[in-house]
Amino acid sequence: MSTQRGSPVVDKEKKYDRQLRLWGDHGQAALEGSAVCLINAGALGTEILKNLCLPGVGAFTIVDGKKVTGEDVGNNFFLEKSSLGMSRGQAAMELLTEMNSDVKGDFIEESADQILETNPQFFKTFSIVIATELQERTLLDLDKLLWENNIPLLVCRSYGMLVYMRLVIQEHTVIESHPDNAFEDLRLDRPFPGLIKFANSLDLDHMSKQEHMHTPYLILLYKFLEKWKSEHQSQIPKNYKEKTAFKNLLRSGVLKNEEGVPLLEENFDEAVAATNSALVPTSIPSSVQEIFNDSCCTNLTSQSSNFWILAHAVKQFTENEGAGALPLRGSIPDMTADSERYIRLQNVYLDQAQQDYASVLGYVQQTLTSLGKPSDSIPEQDVKMFCRNASFLKLVRCRSLSDEYCSDKAKVSDIGMHLENPDSEMAVYVLLRAIDRFHSQYNRFPGDYDNEREADVHKLTSCVSNVIHEWGLHSTVKEELVQEMCRYGAAELHSVAAFLGGCAAQEVIKVITKQFVPVNNTFIYNAVTGASATFQL
Amino acid sequence: MLNLYQLRQQKKDGESGGKSAGSQKRASAAQLRITKDISELNLPKTCKTEFPDEDDLLNFKLIIQPDEGYYKNGRFSFSFKVGPGYPHDAPKVKCETQVYHPNIDLEGNVCLNILREDWKPVLTINSIIYGLQFLFLEPNPEDPLNKEAAEVLQSNKRLFEQNVYKSMRGGYVGNTYFERCLKA
Amino acid sequence: MEDSGSTDWPGRWKHIRRLLERSGPFAHPDFEGSPEILEFMLNNCKVLVIGAGGLGCEILKGLALSGFRNIDVIDMDTVDLSNLNRQFLFRMKDISRDKATVAAEFVNNRVPGCNVIPHFKKIQDYDPSFYRQFHIIICGLDSVIARRWMNGMVLSLLNYEDGVLDPSSIIPMIDGGTEGFKGNARVILPGMTACIDCTLDLFPPQVNFPMCTIAHTPRLPEHCIEYVKVFLWPQEKPFGENVGIDGDDPRHIQWIFEKAQDRADQFNIKGVTYRLTQGVVKRIIPAVASTNAVISAQCVTEAFKLASSCCNPLNNYMVFNDTDGLYTYTYEAEKKEDCPACSQVPQALSFKKDAVLQDLVDHLKNSASLQMREPGITATVNGKNKTLYMQSVEAIRKRTKENLPKRLSELGLTDGQELVVADVTTPNAVIFKLKYEV
Repeated sequence: MSTQRGSPVVDKEKKYDRQLRLWGDHGQAALEGSAVCLINAGALGTEILKNLCLPGVGAFTIVDGKKVTGEDVGNNFFLEKSSLGMSRGQAAMELLTEMNSDVKGDFIEESADQILETNPQFFKTFSIVIATELQERTLLDLDKLLWENNIPLLVCRSYGMLVYMRLVIQEHTVIESHPDNAFEDLRLDRPFPGLIKFANSLDLDHMSKQEHMHTPYLILLYKFLEKWKSEHQSQIPKNYKEKTAFKNLLRSGVLKNEEGVPLLEENFDEAVAATNSALVPTSIPSSVQEIFNDSCCTNLTSQSSNFWILAHAVKQFTENEGAGALPLRGSIPDMTADSERYIRLQNVYLDQAQQDYASVLGYVQQTLTSLGKPSDSIPEQDVKMFCRNASFLKLVRCRSLSDEYCSDKAKVSDIGMHLENPDSEMAVYVLLRAIDRFHSQYNRFPGDYDNEREADVHKLTSCVSNVIHEWGLHSTVKEELVQEMCRYGAAELHSVAAFLGGCAAQEVIKVITKQFVPVNNTFIYNAVTGASATFQL
Repeated sequence: MLNLYQLRQQKKDGESGGKSAGSQKRASAAQLRITKDISELNLPKTCKTEFPDEDDLLNFKLIIQPDEGYYKNGRFSFSFKVGPGYPHDAPKVKCETQVYHPNIDLEGNVCLNILREDWKPVLTINSIIYGLQFLFLEPNPEDPLNKEAAEVLQSNKRLFEQNVYKSMRGGYVGNTYFERCLKA
Repeated sequence: MEDSGSTDWPGRWKHIRRLLERSGPFAHPDFEGSPEILEFMLNNCKVLVIGAGGLGCEILKGLALSGFRNIDVIDMDTVDLSNLNRQFLFRMKDISRDKATVAAEFVNNRVPGCNVIPHFKKIQDYDPSFYRQFHIIICGLDSVIARRWMNGMVLSLLNYEDGVLDPSSIIPMIDGGTEGFKGNARVILPGMTACIDCTLDLFPPQVNFPMCTIAHTPRLPEHCIEYVKVFLWPQEKPFGENVGIDGDDPRHIQWIFEKAQDRADQFNIKGVTYRLTQGVVKRIIPAVASTNAVISAQCVTEAFKLASSCCNPLNNYMVFNDTDGLYTYTYEAEKKEDCPACSQVPQALSFKKDAVLQDLVDHLKNSASLQMREPGITATVNGKNKTLYMQSVEAIRKRTKENLPKRLSELGLTDGQELVVADVTTPNAVIFKLKYEV
């Protein structure tokens, strides 16, 4: 009944409502403006694209030189029996675009190898390239090309019950990381003038019972901290003992009835409950400090991205007006309070945030001018958002695959350390590398044929040893894992591919929207146990 | 560990058993819990429950007749609706008697923390009943639902007492007419 | 039943055959790879999917491509435009059609030989004889109540012989849930491992703002919206006397939105938007395709493992979150000793055919192993709750006292009947199973 109602624009808002609540209209716009490239439309590849088509990615292109086989149709929802023998990329593209008319689909009936050879420029037009079913050699060529051109690459692989994903991106900066449990930015340890003034305008000793019970707990904390500091050489409570004493001090402020029994004052309970977190000294999180110290932040050039210019401005702010603190976030949690004083308190924080933002904006404009850019080339909206998210900034720098695969640049000691734990998912990584080696030697996967499984276990074991020895390590992996790998024989189970299809699509969305934090850089998942691990390789 | 494949092969022969397990579904978790709650009701002497259908323990009324305080000799009826989400979700409780009370509005909404924000599955029907009874002994003007009543209670206890009495006897308090709810 | 050969083509099951026909070190100890397992899955194994929404669509697709063919799906909902960003078996043309049917048609068309049977029904519309036919049940639900109902159902299907669980009565229940970028998947072996009620604390409680805050001291835009919902709507009845709020009716949301804005303006509260209003009124949980894909995939993998024993199942609870990198955490949720749902091993109570209710009450009080004080007894008779005897409430005691001299059979109690007994001597209500002596 609701289909016909409203304009297409409104309908789009309704259609995407459940995700707009996560990444907002600007995130959606970024997604709709993007173009992704998928190499090989196997079960894994189409599952990734499915999860990008549904939320409305702008466009996708499938690169696939293969024809549809019976095995393909068996585990791929976006191929049909009638597609047998057709171009796999085309068949998959048609069934994928059928899901969402907002998405533009395309395909190229050539292998990635061919394109790398004849038209490498092709890959440079995408927001990100997703690689599946590639041989090591092709992968390394692709990695080189994309790395040089600063195009993100996501490598995905689904092997039996195991899953591997590797993000290759030179630099990815995130302003809106949307942390799950963000701490509040309340500044009770270093109250700002507006807060002091507002708190001083309230007198707990001369207010009605009603007002007393509805005084926001931030004010209670401020006032009792002042009292504490006056008795403790201006120091705030630091250790457990002092904090306990401070909580008792707070409790002593609760009103009492005629018989001297303390009343129930929820705002005091809230103050006590919030004491520990409120007494954590305001500081710059180490991840943000690292961003400030990064050479991209300290040595701005006309090529610097807006992120670095903004980071530089905030850094200047922390060194001057901020006196070591980031711009105030300007929001407070909900708390027991009357509407009027709560809103006033909210405005006290907002006003200070606005002031801090104005200072940062000044630095931004100065910097832009000194870099020879128009002083308004970064929209004020963006500066504001940056300030609000200043403590959640994230920087992700991945290494290239060529570094990872080069034996003198490989993270050998990390790998060795992880392999000391026989249950570490690192063993899966080693096995996948060994399988690639197996494939380049025998041009097939271990366990491809039933009658050679036993022999393949030995061959794969020796590939594992080679891989490990080339790193100069003496570790081993469990023999059961080698056997299990040979059991799989490169089988791609639909549900395991679909698991990674969801994960990979989400990483693509993170890269495109620049929201949330992408994985850095290797993700391994074991569908037998449900265990996963992330390694920086 | 369960080997479903083997079990199922066996079970296939017996054609899904049809064993003695009754064809009735077991009483729901909510039903089990409310049976427990109701069979252990331990009411204060000023409270009683009314079950229009003794087979339906999920819907009932609570009558409170305070024997002290402002509301002495009044008779107040509350409806309880226990949903299938009980005890994960609190029961829905409404006051069915119009009452001049700071924490109960004229539509019968009740402001009692354990009915909403502070509900926990360990609480029982008994806890709610005690909470409601307490509201009549100690109306709380600091977090009111009926603001006018709360303001009167705060500023003039004597007037509040008179208003409560007027309302219980039946008649106007300000512009609001209250039905008589004094104990017969 | 269709012959598995007729619709197949060469290579169709090559991928899954590798796991089903080859033994491996991570399989169940009794597992021996063989082609018969695939035959069992294709021809005999019956799976029930609860919900054809974000998870359900994905689960159906996954099952169909994992060798399951006999699949039933239940959903009471119809397709809405806001489903299309993730429920990929539905198109614009399907809006307002029932989800179960549309999803079943789509999967049956796409995957030859697959036989998904749709049920446009509530789970409560079916009785144990329906649920007992399945080998595995997978839940893709967004409601705690529905999960607990299904949990109660699979528990009630358990068969105990002299207090010992008959393993063939166990129907594994796989449960998935998502919210934004977070999700969880779990495997429940009813009677053996932690059930939904054992871990009820894991479900976040509903957010309910205090009434007095909504009424008089709003601070957040949400408080203003709740005010309109709780107080203004019943007072002003904007769309007629008995018209409740319909979160899907844009006129209703628009009305609430405007009134909430007025209220917010009055208190200088910022941030009331149409989107927020809709979110609060409908209690919308954000959802994306990717998280649903991940969690459903895990549920299907578990079904594949359970049906074939080709690998050990998840033990037994997995949490997933991909907000910051990718994170999974797997642990063994513990079975609660005093779980009101699954700790119940119905105890047998034997009576002569002509026993009366008083005999039963006396037994509960006098039996050396029970020694109850004031047992309250209820039962489900012909699908309805019946209070047999209860002393705590005077009115009920009076009315049910009349049952005491009645014969048990007269009260509708049949052989195998379950009785719920509550007494101060036990922490939970206890279930007894009535047996008539022959």
